[in-house]
Amino acid sequence: MTVSTEVRNRTAGGIGESPVRPDGTFKVTGQFAYSSDLWMDGMLWGATLRSPHPRARITSIDVGPALKLAGVSAVLTHDDVPGEKVYGLEIADQPVLAFDEVRYQGEPVVIVAADHPETARRAAALVVVDYEVVEPVTDPREAVGHPDWKPVHDEPGERTAMSRDRAPVHPHGNIVRHQRIRFGDPDAVTADVVVQGDYEVGMQDQAFLGPESGLAVPADDGGVDLYVATQWLHVDRRQMSGALALPEEKIRLTLAGVGGAFGAREDLSMQVHACMLALRTGRPVKMVYSREESFFGHVHRHPALMRYEHGADRDGRLVYVRAHILLDGGAYTSSTPAVVGNASTLGVGPYDVPNVGMDCWGVYTNNPPCGAMRGFGAVQAAFGYESQMDKLAAAVGLSPVEIRTLNAVSEGSILPTGQRIDSPAPVAELMHRLDAMPLPGSVDQDIRLLPGGVSNTTHGEGVRRGVGYAVGIKNVGFSEGFDDYSTARVRIELVGDEPSVLVHTAAVEVGQGLVTVQAQIARSELGVERVTVAAADTQVGSGGSTSASRQTYVTGGAVRAGCAAVRSSLFERAAARYGPGEFRLVAGKVESLVDGVVGDIASLLLDGPVEHTVQWRHRPTQPLDEATGRGNAHVQWAFCAHRAVVDVDVELGLIRVVELACVQDVGKAMNPDAVLGQIHGGSAQGLGLAVMEEVQVVDGKLRNPSFTDYLMPTIMDMPPMRVEVLELADPHSPYGLRGVGEPPTISSTPAIVAAVRAASGVDLKRVPIRPEHLVAAALCH
Amino acid sequence: MRPFQFVRADDAATAVQTVTANPKAKFLAGGTNLVDLMKLGVERPDLLVDLTRLPFDSVDVEADGTVRIGTNVRNSDLAAHPAVRNGLPLLSQALLAGASGQLRNMATVGGNLLQRTRCVYFQDVTKPCNKRQPGSGCPARQGDHRNLAILGASEACIATHPSDMAVALAALDARVAVSGPDGDRETPLAELHALPGEHPEQETTLRHGELITGIAVPPLAYAERSAYRKVRDRASYAFAVASVAAALDVEDGVVRDVRLAFGAVAPKPWRAHAAEDALRGRPATAASFRAAAEAELAAAEPLRDNAFKVPLITNVVVRTLSDLAGETS
Ligand SMILES: Cc1cc2nc3c(=O)[nH]c(=O)nc-3n(C[C@H](O)[C@H](O)[C@H](O)COP(=O)(O)OP(=O)(O)OC[C@H]3O[C@@H](n4cnc5c(N)ncnc54)[C@H](O)[C@@H]3O)c2cc1C
Ligand code: SF4
Repeated sequence: MTVSTEVRNRTAGGIGESPVRPDGTFKVTGQFAYSSDLWMDGMLWGATLRSPHPRARITSIDVGPALKLAGVSAVLTHDDVPGEKVYGLEIADQPVLAFDEVRYQGEPVVIVAADHPETARRAAALVVVDYEVVEPVTDPREAVGHPDWKPVHDEPGERTAMSRDRAPVHPHGNIVRHQRIRFGDPDAVTADVVVQGDYEVGMQDQAFLGPESGLAVPADDGGVDLYVATQWLHVDRRQMSGALALPEEKIRLTLAGVGGAFGAREDLSMQVHACMLALRTGRPVKMVYSREESFFGHVHRHPALMRYEHGADRDGRLVYVRAHILLDGGAYTSSTPAVVGNASTLGVGPYDVPNVGMDCWGVYTNNPPCGAMRGFGAVQAAFGYESQMDKLAAAVGLSPVEIRTLNAVSEGSILPTGQRIDSPAPVAELMHRLDAMPLPGSVDQDIRLLPGGVSNTTHGEGVRRGVGYAVGIKNVGFSEGFDDYSTARVRIELVGDEPSVLVHTAAVEVGQGLVTVQAQIARSELGVERVTVAAADTQVGSGGSTSASRQTYVTGGAVRAGCAAVRSSLFERAAARYGPGEFRLVAGKVESLVDGVVGDIASLLLDGPVEHTVQWRHRPTQPLDEATGRGNAHVQWAFCAHRAVVDVDVELGLIRVVELACVQDVGKAMNPDAVLGQIHGGSAQGLGLAVMEEVQVVDGKLRNPSFTDYLMPTIMDMPPMRVEVLELADPHSPYGLRGVGEPPTISSTPAIVAAVRAASGVDLKRVPIRPEHLVAAALCH
Repeated sequence: MRPFQFVRADDAATAVQTVTANPKAKFLAGGTNLVDLMKLGVERPDLLVDLTRLPFDSVDVEADGTVRIGTNVRNSDLAAHPAVRNGLPLLSQALLAGASGQLRNMATVGGNLLQRTRCVYFQDVTKPCNKRQPGSGCPARQGDHRNLAILGASEACIATHPSDMAVALAALDARVAVSGPDGDRETPLAELHALPGEHPEQETTLRHGELITGIAVPPLAYAERSAYRKVRDRASYAFAVASVAAALDVEDGVVRDVRLAFGAVAPKPWRAHAAEDALRGRPATAASFRAAAEAELAAAEPLRDNAFKVPLITNVVVRTLSDLAGETS
């Protein structure tokens, strides 16, 4: 396969530009069709009855009263699941519909199809489920080490094709995965300066705007077509195939308009349910979750309890890090093994540490299941290690920038897993650039921009300014030996008289701009401006997940490879027509490297279209050794740093983030506008975690499943940003690019917290920060 | 949601009659609270009587300066009305600090006064709650009570009243005009909401079928020197964690008169009489303001997770009054 490394940028709308995205206008004018807008004549509506208890044994289910309601076509329970009764990404332990026991509040128990959504909901409410309530396990510490220890699962789940090699199938009851990192001699080593801290991260929600939804249509061949908003069509299909007892070819998925994902669509929600109802009734079935139901219908970010100890010499150079990280995975496995993998391998941050002793656990409880969310594992750990770096800086008398640059990894550094960083790692440069950026002016006079916002709580009195820094590290792509690949079908043909390219992948656009980037790559690679990106579906091979910041890298790599294959075929035709030579394709023309333009691409297509389908994978990674954490587990790292400037009203506990400055290395800015969009959005999500976003769970029950009570930043809370983007190419990746989506979420949270600590003098240990953390602490002063 | 009937009332008398005749009927105004609660299954009316066509939609200033506000005046319109914006800044500010622009465009005076508590157990029908289901218990006392009351609560219930507007009206000694099966009456706002005692389900002194037609705000000479301050968990669009409505009259550095009410700390908009009494005749200094707040909060019964409201509301009081004192001196 010939893959050109030269970037051909003279074809308009190619890589490095920011062409208008095809979905943009529709989205901002309200015309874009999201999955919740799907419609088909004669369709039925599905509804789900969920467990009100975090933990209970089901003693009986009586669907009779629901079936009697006029308009109801089907009422199904676990008895009606045609195939496997459990599914899961890595370990199959989550029931399609609960049997014997429910393990979290909101677990689906019964599904209903009816001719009207309200009828379906009412019918679900008529089902009589008898529960014998059992006391839930809600404290992750209890889940692993309580004297009267209560296992959440009786039987271990089944491993699936995605299981990490070293992910134990919870042999110790409630432990999903325990990953150790032992690097150097962490137990014996001592240090001049030692700082310790306990840190806690609350449960964040992805809070996408488009609720879980889709439309299942039964097909003549006994199979089913599903139109759905998801993150990975093929892994949905694989799990559905088991549950529906249908071969994969009989399940066809087409991506419907996705209203945000952030990890929350990586696990199945309504996919199997809608198909079961459609197959049973022989009619199309649509399901749409309400906002409240959506909070129960997807996983959240793992809450974390962390204990860190950092040892350094008197100059501030790190000698060791010892850490315990406990991640609450909730009732089912979901992505917990991968979250543990990230938290442990990235748990000391982007720093050179000669001795590391780290233990990271992911555990089962009867809390809501936790799984994928932007930056997973890395987000939690960064709050811990960055808090520690500031403590250390204070202990040795260095500034936050100095302590970080002093200890920063660089290309060639060895990580605690033994893996060498073999591409640019400009951590020190990120810090220097942040430091060099001008600071915003003094406390604002516009009261809307003071802490308390429009609430008019201060005119500047009690307000103190603080500045904080943080830097984060994130792995890009699927790690630990996972066979991570994508597939692209690329076709070039004459449409009218013009050459036109069709790119077809199963990679999911969740709003990040993947469709645009695929077209940009095809334009640059094939010198053709007219590019169409076909709807993502399962008629082409897997595109892998839209997660782990991987799609531009992996599907981008596949599209580039597909284009290269097409180009080779075109060059053969060019050689036949113009004589042997070296050619390139630019702006619709065929250029000979010797003779210049020799013809146009259109004339090469008179012999008919050219089409290739290729699979492309990034270089392989290795599993981690369970006992030591050794292994070249990651394919690429991405680095991002933030400086936060905050004003804190220390008397009222109110915070205004005045400015966020960010420097990120993206390797290659494939689409500069999209890069900025990711940095702004990711930073905002990190701000949310720092100062307000939390799914409040008390005794296993969600207390705020609505956008009235789950607070996210509004435009009033989000400050202007200064952003610098570095482009230091990674020699191993397509175009040198690095994944962009997750890193900004990681460092913005600890930077904001550091700034609030600096302003208030309060030793904050938990995110999100709330007024009481500041006011109560101020009292003790 | 359960099925229900909907009728639109054309005159107040019919509205009152219709609701009085059906114990499961409710008035519907902007619907921004009632409809949410119906979706949650907390409110389960059989019949909704829509009030929005009733002619109570004007703001009138009477000769003596009393401002009469019809119940159907939307929160946005009320906040923007010149008599309110200029003459009663605390009320305008309180309204604008509430909810979002869209909600304020729907929300009405009567609906705002009668909105229900945000206590999470009250809103979750799978949980016991004395207010929703008398006698079933109050899980908030041991559980999630960070947002709940430190003043005026009872063993049976520690819910807070969530309204911002009502706090300003409490400070202004507003009166509520009520139309009922036995005719019209007026009641001080201070007596509209009941403290929970042993019966948290009885939230107001209104009888079933009684309709709020409007409110009257009597003149207050120093109302222009007033403010509403609200602490909340994000910059806009969130309920109060603690709030203060205040008006201050200072002469020669001495407090001649003061109005003070607290929000989000009690089961009703909390008029701080003890603080007012402690302040009249005292020097208008931060120290007296703090002492006044402390006098009011002597009766506070903070719990594990809401104890921070004691210093918080104290700081808001000092801040607000200091600011007003600065304006007048
Ligand atoms: C997301 C969100 C955020 C919010 N944030 C805030 C906030 O920050 N601050 C704040 O103060 N409020 C806030 N609110 C609450 C909002 O102010 C109230 O929902 C609104 O004021 C209620 O008015 P309404 O006309 O819509 O009442 P409705 O919902 O129509 O009625 C509420 C109740 O009052 C009764 N009622 C209505 N009118 C009359 C009448 N004339 N006579 C007798 N009974 C009557 C109804 O029967 C019902 O029981 C928020 C609400 C939401 C949804
Ligand atoms: S505080 Fe009141 S409203 Fe809340 S649970 Fe207790 S009784 Fe119910």
